[in-house]
Amino acid sequence: MSEWKELADYFRGRSMWMLHYCTGCGAIELPPTMTSRWDMERFGVVPMATPRQADILLITGYLSIKSLKRVVYTYEQMSAPKWVLGFGSCTINGGIYWDSYSVIKRLDKYIPVDLYIAGCMPRPEAILDSFVKLRELIKKGEAKGYEKYVKNFEWYKANQDKVFRRTTPVLKKPEEVTKSA
Amino acid sequence: MMFFLKLIQSIGVGALSISVGLLFMGIGRKITARIHRRYGPPAIQNFIDVFKLFSKNSISHGFAYDLGIIAGTSALLAAVVFLPVGQINLFPANSSLIMILYLMTMAYLGMAMGVSSSGNPNATIGISRALTMMMGYKVPFAAVIFSVYIFARTGSLTNIIAAQSGGLLNWNMIRLPFGFIAAEIALQGMLGEKPFDMAIAPAEIASGPMVEMSGKYLGFGMLQHAVGIFLETGIMVNLFMGGAPNVWIFVIKQFELFFIALLVNAILPRFRVEEGVSFMWKIPLLLGVIQALIVVL
Amino acid sequence: MNSNLIWLVFTPLIGSAIAAILYNYKFLDRLITFSTFAITLFLVFGTHVGQTYSMNLNFMGRMIPLSWNVTHLSIFMLYISIVFGTILTFYSLMDRSRMKGFLLLLILAANNWIFTTNDMVGFFFAWELMGWASIVSVLGGRKERKSRHAALYYALMSIGGSYSMFFGLFTLWRLTGSFSISSNLAYLSSIVGVHPWWVLGIVSLFFVTFMIKAGIFPFHTWVPMAYAYAPDTFTPFLSAVMSKYGIYGMLLFLPISLMEKGMPTVFGLPWVNYIFVWIGVITAVLGTVLAFFQDDVKKLFAYSSLSNLGYIVAAISLFTSVGVTAGIYHAFNHLLFKGALFITLAAVISRSGTSKLSEMGGLWKKMPVTFFTFFIGIASAAGIPPFNGFGSKWLIYQSMIKQHLLFATILLFLASTGAFLYLFKAFHSIFLGQLSHNYDNVKEVPVIGQIVEYLLMFAMIFFGIQPGYILRPVGLIVKSVGLNPLAVMGNGYVTGMFSNVDMPLIGWSLAISFVFGFILFFISAKHKYVSQEDNYTAGQIPQDWGLTPETYQFSWKFYEPMEKLFAPFYRIKIDGFFRGLGDWTRITGSAVKQVFVGNAQIYTLFAVVGLIILVIAGWVA
Ligand code: SF4
Repeated sequence: MSEWKELADYFRGRSMWMLHYCTGCGAIELPPTMTSRWDMERFGVVPMATPRQADILLITGYLSIKSLKRVVYTYEQMSAPKWVLGFGSCTINGGIYWDSYSVIKRLDKYIPVDLYIAGCMPRPEAILDSFVKLRELIKKGEAKGYEKYVKNFEWYKANQDKVFRRTTPVLKKPEEVTKSA
Repeated sequence: MMFFLKLIQSIGVGALSISVGLLFMGIGRKITARIHRRYGPPAIQNFIDVFKLFSKNSISHGFAYDLGIIAGTSALLAAVVFLPVGQINLFPANSSLIMILYLMTMAYLGMAMGVSSSGNPNATIGISRALTMMMGYKVPFAAVIFSVYIFARTGSLTNIIAAQSGGLLNWNMIRLPFGFIAAEIALQGMLGEKPFDMAIAPAEIASGPMVEMSGKYLGFGMLQHAVGIFLETGIMVNLFMGGAPNVWIFVIKQFELFFIALLVNAILPRFRVEEGVSFMWKIPLLLGVIQALIVVL
Repeated sequence: MNSNLIWLVFTPLIGSAIAAILYNYKFLDRLITFSTFAITLFLVFGTHVGQTYSMNLNFMGRMIPLSWNVTHLSIFMLYISIVFGTILTFYSLMDRSRMKGFLLLLILAANNWIFTTNDMVGFFFAWELMGWASIVSVLGGRKERKSRHAALYYALMSIGGSYSMFFGLFTLWRLTGSFSISSNLAYLSSIVGVHPWWVLGIVSLFFVTFMIKAGIFPFHTWVPMAYAYAPDTFTPFLSAVMSKYGIYGMLLFLPISLMEKGMPTVFGLPWVNYIFVWIGVITAVLGTVLAFFQDDVKKLFAYSSLSNLGYIVAAISLFTSVGVTAGIYHAFNHLLFKGALFITLAAVISRSGTSKLSEMGGLWKKMPVTFFTFFIGIASAAGIPPFNGFGSKWLIYQSMIKQHLLFATILLFLASTGAFLYLFKAFHSIFLGQLSHNYDNVKEVPVIGQIVEYLLMFAMIFFGIQPGYILRPVGLIVKSVGLNPLAVMGNGYVTGMFSNVDMPLIGWSLAISFVFGFILFFISAKHKYVSQEDNYTAGQIPQDWGLTPETYQFSWKFYEPMEKLFAPFYRIKIDGFFRGLGDWTRITGSAVKQVFVGNAQIYTLFAVVGLIILVIAGWVA
């Protein structure tokens, strides 16, 4: 059985389908990574259209709280062997948004991140390097973020809820305001 | 005994079609990469992808979803058994071209049922586009079938191959040039390559039919595509290139056709659906009709 | 015992009388209808080919010879219509629609009479009985006003057809002095070489009637209305059985071979036949194209019936052995799958309470048996082997190709691919996609309905895999009209001109590959079932977004690209003439409506007028 697992991990490392969540400014580095100059397809990494199909969730930079909500939903829609790549210093400690009221600081508190790519913004070489690194981690069986998420589900949910509470509108709905006026 | 022999051989043909199809897809990716001046993935990348997909967990939307997606692959495998592949012709008495085409429709119906039962509108939009496109390319292909039937005085692929024996000049490709060109364009639509890939537009409708497919479902989808490539190019080889003396030459001939489709795919953008259909009803249909008129008169 | 032919007509009439008395007790009405159908089926077991019977009816001092003659065609038609009718009436035992059993029995009497009679008086009378009974049956659909309008329209068309047939019949009688169909047909084929135009004229009078009844272009306009607004349980009969009367009539007259008798030919066909092939092809394409854009599911399938009848007409008009075989075979297949489809539609409509495609969706979880019946039905209708419906379509293509009819072949392919489109549209909009919360309490049809559905599923698969059981009798029919029947190699084979198809082999191949598919499915990694709310929404959370199943269901403007594609045709109004015709009939219809206010009176009056005309004609002659 373990041989089978090893084999499966070998294949997983060589065919990583990626869903890129492109709200951060770092997303601009992805087109050159995909196309002729750097060509990430040679590592078996191809961009996918929906979370159902993807293995890697690539978070390209800062996440406002509202978009974190979407990221969590998307992450939960992905199927089991799945990995998260935090891209850029914003996902590590907030980067230049360290004092922003609307942006989360540490992605790791909300969803399990398997690998960070440092830099603001990281160059395509760094991204390719991260794919190779992730492949090694998968092979060694160290990239187990998805199991961590299941195990510590309550903790993650509590963290998420703490920030999501801030997204509830402070003002009443516009129609209610006009009605009361 | 006979039954088991045929069964084993059929399984062999099925396995062959899957592996050749996956290999073609991999080589296709490599060639496309080279056209883009990239390095590209290894040629066996699609095998890796399929294995990975089958080892990955997945979600399903119910029994109809499972059944439909299995039907997509299984029905095509059931059809590929009747295709003469080089010297392997398992059921020579039962290789009617129209029968194979209609049996393939079962796969599309199954696939359409599966993905639509997921309840995602993107999937259904993709299917509706694919069906519309099917209406486009089936019409010129009907003209081609007509000319081939009349020309060869037979409808079974076995006899069509036999009618082309005796060298390159007897191939329908040379004898029926307009029909061949029409069928080539129709093949482009059948394979779902650009400019006729509106059904799986990733940016507009989130890859259409595949939108809710994960893990093994996507794996089945990939197998279906692989068998589809094998079957469709195989039919073309039998119709126009006189079949083949053995499997290797058959696969090489198939690859020639697939290669042309790839090159077109790599350099062209996408049609809109109605543009694609009306294109099919103009140039290929005209060519097909010219060919048919030449044959009849 | 040849008088059992009369009992074939009288048993349903007696049953009808009893059912009409008990009409207020709905279940009894249905039960008597069902048992009469079953008894009639037993009577048909006692009939055999070559049986004849004749008697003289004293009608106002004039002897009218009535005669019966059972041919291969009639026995085939009897069997398929009565077996289907039995299944349908069994289904209707549990049904809540307002179909009237005694009217169905009247149609059954007419049905048996039409298929067995050998005299034109009986034929005409039975035809009228069938027509009027069906017109009244169309009343009582779910939408009162619309079904009344549809019935009126249908009545007008039928009257036109009746007059046409009446003229033809009396012209023939004046020429030969006999009412016997067989001797009149023999007379016609003997003079066709001398007076081809005369023969054509007379035959076309009959053909107009048959085309109206079968709903062939350009007389198709009543079909969608009547099918859509008839009671849901009556529509299967209307579509599956009653459209075949026209085909039967055409088959009676087609053996008058124009081919050897000096008619100018096109592509080896007499030009009259050529025109009929094209009428069939146009019907097929028209039905298909119009079916794309329907939102009412019964209307959609009405157009689909239209298209299939186009196939049949195109095939039998060729009058070659493949053509006629294919045509009759397709008539049977169409009866089976369209009957099954309309029965499942009746089930769906009775459960969901709507026939609008845009209001349904996701019902497969609630009605799995109905879903599978419908699935096999559309697979058959799309002509997918090994279900029934493939063999006949395949033969039709071959017959077309054999005659070098290039454009007809292309258009039939177009119609067939198009069939796939509208069938999938209906399939998706009813059963697939998102299930609306309105249908949370929808249940599967009752046991009786399920039994019928299983039966129909079995029949569609069985006759698909064993076409020989149909092709043999069809071969006998083909032989009896004077053509070479196709060889039947075995029960499992469809033998064409160009090649054979071994249906059980295809079945095996599919079964085995499905087994492999399932094995692969179950040995690979696990899957888990999720609800329909858990769906890809581009990252949006459905609850926040106010997303409901209804808004996340794609069923509106299903084939919008097609609409754009066909837009120029709408603009130039290629069907302007028919719209004009439609307007004209509507105006006449409303005029008639103004004269006769009450409903029942209109129909009785029409009947009386028809009778008076019959009487006057008798006096004059
Ligand atoms: S890390 Fe730098 S480049 Fe990336 S999102 Fe943050 S600010 Fe932008």
